[in-house]
Amino acid sequence: MPPPPAEAPDFQRQLERLEEIVRRLEAEDLDLDEALKLFEEGVERLRAARERLAAAATKVKQIRLEDLER
Amino acid sequence: MGQPLDLFAAASAEGAWTVGEVTRRARAVVEAGLPPLWVRGEVSGLKVWQSGHWYFALRDKAAQLRCVMFARDNRRLPAAPAEGMQVFVFGRPTVWEEKGEFRLTVLELLSTEAGGLWKLALEQARAALARDGLLDPSRRRPLPRFPRRIAVVTSRDGAALRDIIAVIERRWPVTELVLVPVQVQGDGAEQDLCRALALLGRLEGVDVAIVGRGGGSKEDLWTFNSERVARAVAAAAVPVISAVGHETDVTLCDLVADARAPTPSAAAALATPDRAELLSHLGHLGHRLGRGLDARAARAVERLERTSDRLAAAVERRLERAGALLAACGASLDALSPLRVLARGYAVARDERGRVLKRVAQLPPGRGFRLRVSDGEVPARVAES
Repeated sequence: MPPPPAEAPDFQRQLERLEEIVRRLEAEDLDLDEALKLFEEGVERLRAARERLAAAATKVKQIRLEDLER
Repeated sequence: MGQPLDLFAAASAEGAWTVGEVTRRARAVVEAGLPPLWVRGEVSGLKVWQSGHWYFALRDKAAQLRCVMFARDNRRLPAAPAEGMQVFVFGRPTVWEEKGEFRLTVLELLSTEAGGLWKLALEQARAALARDGLLDPSRRRPLPRFPRRIAVVTSRDGAALRDIIAVIERRWPVTELVLVPVQVQGDGAEQDLCRALALLGRLEGVDVAIVGRGGGSKEDLWTFNSERVARAVAAAAVPVISAVGHETDVTLCDLVADARAPTPSAAAALATPDRAELLSHLGHLGHRLGRGLDARAARAVERLERTSDRLAAAVERRLERAGALLAACGASLDALSPLRVLARGYAVARDERGRVLKRVAQLPPGRGFRLRVSDGEVPARVAES
């Protein structure tokens, strides 16, 4: 079986990190350098997440019990 | 009592019947005289043998009738009847020769009570599951927010599968479905479901499973009320969403599963996030990201401006000090200038390239040079000796 589609990095971790970046940018008095770094990371993660959601149609794969039990 | 017993005739070796002969004869008489029939009575003393056969008696106030229901016939029933249960049985009266016993071979058994055997079976299984803590809601595992692969355990040809695929296409096409086709009703369904559930842990990347089928009769849905299947759901390696039949059907699998959906479509929705919603959330996050940086940058610019004002003032002060220093230095430089020496009557001799001629050797007879005095320069020549 090929690796699962959303393996790395895990989509949920990706989204949670993005949410954290936004919160920090909004709340904390970071120095500008740090803020820029966070912003860049945020933009990259946003792009990756959108790309991931743009995937094609659902794939349906069929497994036979006999094959699994082997 | 009228007829005298002929002991001699009965005792003669030739005239005596064997036990087998008598029971075989009795059996023939009973089977010929009593065709298969329905009997109503109360169940008493039921025993389930290792072989799966049921042995019990049917009673009423006046009499009792020994009964057997063989495994091949009782397998269709959800449970054995309880002690004292009122039932109808359809059976063949016979004589069991080995025991010399008159009895009924039961082919069909129906309970006269509401819900009957189905209800009884369900209650028994439910009690067993509760005893083992499997109905405890705290056992339920959370479903993954973004499933990577979703296993679907259902019939290959049912409406349930089509419904599930349609919903996932719409909500979360990003995922992959792994269909584990099973029989969902009839002989072998229970076995299939248990096998499939036990193997979920072997499906790489699968982090949630939907188990179920579309609507059907009570008998059709019965597999999902089996205690074995319910236990397999509880033991599954990944969270299970149970979706059996229509809204009103609640099965044991539903009670044991990590989540219950009223229909297969609802199960698919429960298993997946909505892509459109998520995209709009991402858009919102992007907006906030930009705004966050803007606000941060505005603060930085403001601070920079304050800083540059202070910087300009500092530079200005420093320049002033440097100017004063320069003026002071200018005065002492002036005092050291060679022009002041010339003014006192000295002169400087230099060659045509401007080098100062300081020694006699540099001034041979006839050599031309230039002489700098206080107010100008004149050409000169060393006299011939």
